[in-house]
Amino acid sequence: MRGFVLAPLIRLLPVGLVALSLQRVIFANHPMHDVQIQLVLALVVAAGAGGGLDRGAIAGFVLGMLSDASGDTPLGVLALAYGLGGLTAGYLHRFTTDPQWWLAALFATMGAAVGETAIPVVKTLTGDSGWITTDLLVTVPIVAVTAGLMCPLLMPVGRWMMGVKRKKWKAMTE
Amino acid sequence: MFSALSRRRVVALVVLTCLLFITLDRNGNPVIDRVRGVLATVLQPVDTATRAITLPLERVWYGISNYDDVERENQALRDQIEHQKGNDVEARSAILEYRLLLKVQQLASKFNYPTVPALVIGDSPGNFQNTVEINVGSTDGIQVGMPVTNGAGLVGRITRVYPTHSLVKLITDPGYSVPAQVLSSADDEGITGPLPEIPIGGATSSSTSSTTTTTTTVPVTSTTQPGDTAGPTTSTPPATTTTALEVVRETGLLEGQGGNKPMLLRFVDSSSSLANVKVGSIVDTAGGTKGLAPQGIPIGVITRIVSQSGDSADLVEVTPNASLRQLNFVAVVLYVSGTVGP
Repeated sequence: MRGFVLAPLIRLLPVGLVALSLQRVIFANHPMHDVQIQLVLALVVAAGAGGGLDRGAIAGFVLGMLSDASGDTPLGVLALAYGLGGLTAGYLHRFTTDPQWWLAALFATMGAAVGETAIPVVKTLTGDSGWITTDLLVTVPIVAVTAGLMCPLLMPVGRWMMGVKRKKWKAMTE
Repeated sequence: MFSALSRRRVVALVVLTCLLFITLDRNGNPVIDRVRGVLATVLQPVDTATRAITLPLERVWYGISNYDDVERENQALRDQIEHQKGNDVEARSAILEYRLLLKVQQLASKFNYPTVPALVIGDSPGNFQNTVEINVGSTDGIQVGMPVTNGAGLVGRITRVYPTHSLVKLITDPGYSVPAQVLSSADDEGITGPLPEIPIGGATSSSTSSTTTTTTTVPVTSTTQPGDTAGPTTSTPPATTTTALEVVRETGLLEGQGGNKPMLLRFVDSSSSLANVKVGSIVDTAGGTKGLAPQGIPIGVITRIVSQSGDSADLVEVTPNASLRQLNFVAVVLYVSGTVGP
């Protein structure tokens, strides 16, 4: 378990820093209908869809911690929300070990929706109320759909980041 | 591969660690603050490199896609500047008169704190935080809690300070609240005429803020000199007429609502004096030893008054003066709550 948790950190941290920087510099300044597209969350759900629920949870935890530490939210809020998002996207591997791209994108969309919805919920539970509003009906679909669209591009990065190799099917010899 | 037990362990570990960190950070932890500082230091060169790489591409894209919009906006801004030149002259004249009055009455200016200019270098990366990052920090004398303004009014307050940069929580954040006052005079009819009253059935106010009403009567004196009139000069003394100008000050708690929504000014009781609060009235900081900003920083104008059923007080919506989506330059007021003016 130790290797499973520690080994990906070597790749997770630098990739996470670059993703976080892109989020802060580009995506934060170009909202779509006043909603900021979440690259870091998209990367988390792509890692979950590519590597399974446990790897998705770890990617969410680490990248969420980075986001928390660089922002103003209490440490652990985004980590918990992104962890849940990665976990949800990773449920795909309960159904198939080698998912098609559209199935991965679908689960990434669901994972991103869960992750983005979990942020105001966790914030409210920790005493930072006022974020659960009707605005969520716009914010969550935009973030989730864009994460699903980015999934095919980000899944190879997510797989590499978590040290997952794609399965290669071989024909059985008689 | 991993067994189901180790998977469950991983998930449980992630959840428990998150809860532990949230608990530690909510109560304030110097180790976590240091970790944040280290990450901010690490992230700064990465941000600079990302900005250097993406900025030329961004400009090319803007050049292609937004040229017409920029030209239109430029023209609109030129028209706006022409329009505001007249207002500027009027405002300067009012400020001069105000300073003269303070001097004559031997009063200190209500807002006389030094400021540190700053540049906004980053927006909030998430959809559930209204913050901006500015390029001044503890080395410039910035401290947590200091108010931040721009040319138009109050912008927010400092929530985290690093050596070379700081985070500012904007006034529209639901976690932000500041004591504010509405200044209106009895003869002020407001800008947009009668108040639009929108009843909300069954809505209750859970606010614990207090309401203070102060009525000040300012004598307005006009003096007629005998020499002003044409005709034969007589030895009559100057004729002085005094009329009373009633200024009502309403104090409440101004709270953000998140996103681009206007702020809410909460009053507990709907007293008769609230009738003097009108759409278009100016709202500024109330100050006080427990206030997070000194008295007299403009915040915004009242844009809507929502009456509520039952004993609940009216909700007053205030739109900030400052354009919080397009902040470039701001000023940090070197004021710490509980201090007396310099």
